[in-house]
Amino acid sequence: MIRKTRRKRTWFAAAVIASGSLFATALPANAETGVSATQIKLGITLPLTGAASPGYNKIGNAMNAYFKYVNDNGGVYGRKVTLIQKDDMYTPQLAIAKTNELILKDKVFALVGPLGTANFTATHKSVNLAKRGVPSLFLNTGFSGFANKKNYPTSFMILPSYAMEAKVVAQFLKESHAGKKLGLVYQNDEFGIDALGAFTAAGVKFDVSVPYTSGSQSAATAQTWVSQLAAGGAQVVVFFGVTSATAPLLAVAAGAKYAPQWILGSVGADPLTLQALGVPVAVLNGAQTPAGNPSPNDTSDEYVKQFQEINTKYNTGVAFDDYVLQGMNLGLMTVQALRAAGQNLTRRGLIRAMETKGSTFASVAYSPLGYSKTSNVGHTGYFMAVMGPTGDRKPLGGSVTLYTTDSGSGPVVKSTFKRPAMPAKGLPTNS
Amino acid sequence: MESWPRARPAVRKKIALFILLGWVLLIIGDRVDELRVYQGAQMAMYTIALASIVLLTGYSGQVSLGNGAMMAVGGYGAALTLNNLGSPIWFAFLMAVVCAALFGALLGTAAARLSGPYLAGTTLALAVGLPAIANQFKFLGGEPGLLFDVGFPPERFGEEFTQYKWFFWISTFIALIALFMTSNILSSRFGRTWRGIRGHSLAAELCGVHSSRMKILAFTVSSALAGLAGAVLAMNISLVAPGAYALSLSFALVTGAVLAGISSLPGVVFGAFILVAIPEIADALAGRLGDADKLNHYLPGLIVSILLILSVIYAPNGPGENLRKHLRKKPAR
Repeated sequence: MIRKTRRKRTWFAAAVIASGSLFATALPANAETGVSATQIKLGITLPLTGAASPGYNKIGNAMNAYFKYVNDNGGVYGRKVTLIQKDDMYTPQLAIAKTNELILKDKVFALVGPLGTANFTATHKSVNLAKRGVPSLFLNTGFSGFANKKNYPTSFMILPSYAMEAKVVAQFLKESHAGKKLGLVYQNDEFGIDALGAFTAAGVKFDVSVPYTSGSQSAATAQTWVSQLAAGGAQVVVFFGVTSATAPLLAVAAGAKYAPQWILGSVGADPLTLQALGVPVAVLNGAQTPAGNPSPNDTSDEYVKQFQEINTKYNTGVAFDDYVLQGMNLGLMTVQALRAAGQNLTRRGLIRAMETKGSTFASVAYSPLGYSKTSNVGHTGYFMAVMGPTGDRKPLGGSVTLYTTDSGSGPVVKSTFKRPAMPAKGLPTNS
Repeated sequence: MESWPRARPAVRKKIALFILLGWVLLIIGDRVDELRVYQGAQMAMYTIALASIVLLTGYSGQVSLGNGAMMAVGGYGAALTLNNLGSPIWFAFLMAVVCAALFGALLGTAAARLSGPYLAGTTLALAVGLPAIANQFKFLGGEPGLLFDVGFPPERFGEEFTQYKWFFWISTFIALIALFMTSNILSSRFGRTWRGIRGHSLAAELCGVHSSRMKILAFTVSSALAGLAGAVLAMNISLVAPGAYALSLSFALVTGAVLAGISSLPGVVFGAFILVAIPEIADALAGRLGDADKLNHYLPGLIVSILLILSVIYAPNGPGENLRKHLRKKPAR
């Protein structure tokens, strides 16, 4: 009998604890989640720590720096923009958990610049972003699958897709490296496979192809990549991966005196990140790369110049590189989108604004933006560039020759598109 | 067989208690916001996982640091079943239990020969190695893993019924059933035998207990529970991936079990609560102390470690045990 009462008591205690844990306050009724009279709350998940973090961990701070600059100059219709960053260590399960926090706990208005293909695929599904109607602007991934507006009705891309990139590179290989033995190193997930599919479709056959698992990049694994490439006699090696994988690849190859013509995908060719990883930037000398943006040290570019100024003042002590440039530009695009959605800011309104006005936004990248009622595609093209001994990028042949294409079977065409001018002082009034 | 009619009223009471508990949880699930509902589903998952440790370590005395690996087996089993056979959800969960139990039986056969630190080492190696295997095989989805989609809640629950509430319902339902079965097993002759083996395995053998066979059984049942928890975890995050069953999960579970009181089944609810609450507390604390980004990275680990140390010093059998002692003393006064 005593035993029974005791057991009852413990069960009761367990029930009380269980219910206590679930207690919470009710929500006050709000006009729109994450928007108040004075503030717009945005969120991003990205790798702030872990193997894939070098470089990417600067994007959130760069965005925040730009937002601070805008806030100091009146904000967006009087509202201050704040960005909450969460570390997902580049893993899908953390991305899901952190996005959950952003949406359920921090109650952000929208996601901006969420990073990583596998992460966003998992997050979109798990957190149910589409059904919740949460706008996910400017995905920091080029996976062409996200261009499916039916599956991703509230998401908008910004980077040209990996498929587009691969198509431009394929064209370049045919024109400039015909008859040479070709090698390919790629990240073995949607990222690299997207590119692989496009190469195959374009009729480019690689003599050696080396897939690697994201997160496995290290000097030891790079050794096996290089020995495979060298054994296959690859003269031109295309690389589709992140910079933390480029670093060991180039370092090991240089050590082994293996010097093919490198063609580095736009994702994995950031000189400062290479340097931070202990790889001399000089290994980049002569590497060719498809590029969408001007070089971050090209101060003759009005965007770069303005962003550098903001960086010096609001992101003090942080070296201005491709990631900072990208982060600032994400900020610029976000502010234009928020403005375009009007004073009475709603999630629906933001999505509508992206669809109707998004293609006219000012952005640092040279290629046109593809947003419309039926498309959530961002930038649509690349130019080929060559890297110097300090890692700076120069357009191949002296001036930018832009190629635009789509993620499907459309042709690769030379484009004469003229990029919109940077808004005066970097403060959008155009939307 | 003789004892069955006599045991029945107790079992009936237990069933009533579980139904009541389920009903209370259902009402609570309706009243709180979505984040709490989601955390509730997580808690249910941890409850099952901790029950598996209590059964294995607290009752049969086998120390395992590899419960995360067992959860991975269950999770992948369920995901492969759901994705490839297009089966109903319940069948996927059943397959998670079956896969993990089979795997546990195999492992238990080896584990029965090991004890103490050797067993802990073996299971630790498993926790490190097993989830990484997924990286090597394409059909396991590699690092990004496989999607695990149990679908939207039935439409008759209405528009307001969110996905997470659906997860919460399923998780809680499974957790209640799992706890009910586990508590029955532990109070049956198996539970008594396991405790006997833990207390003194030689003495137990002299009483006619086949100790290694019983240890294998404990391993199997515990793995089945862990597998079930793994499938629930997969459902809650719609994903199975090596990273979801990382070493840190195995460690978190051991911590939770110690805090729960390693041999107390009701304690697992408390342990699960702690595991879900720690990141919350850390977040709140970091927010108050400033520089949330940096602190948030280290605080959960710090809190866990402090709790673990305090628990080992002041409440080696878990705070639940202390509370019970305290309650027992009171009527005597």
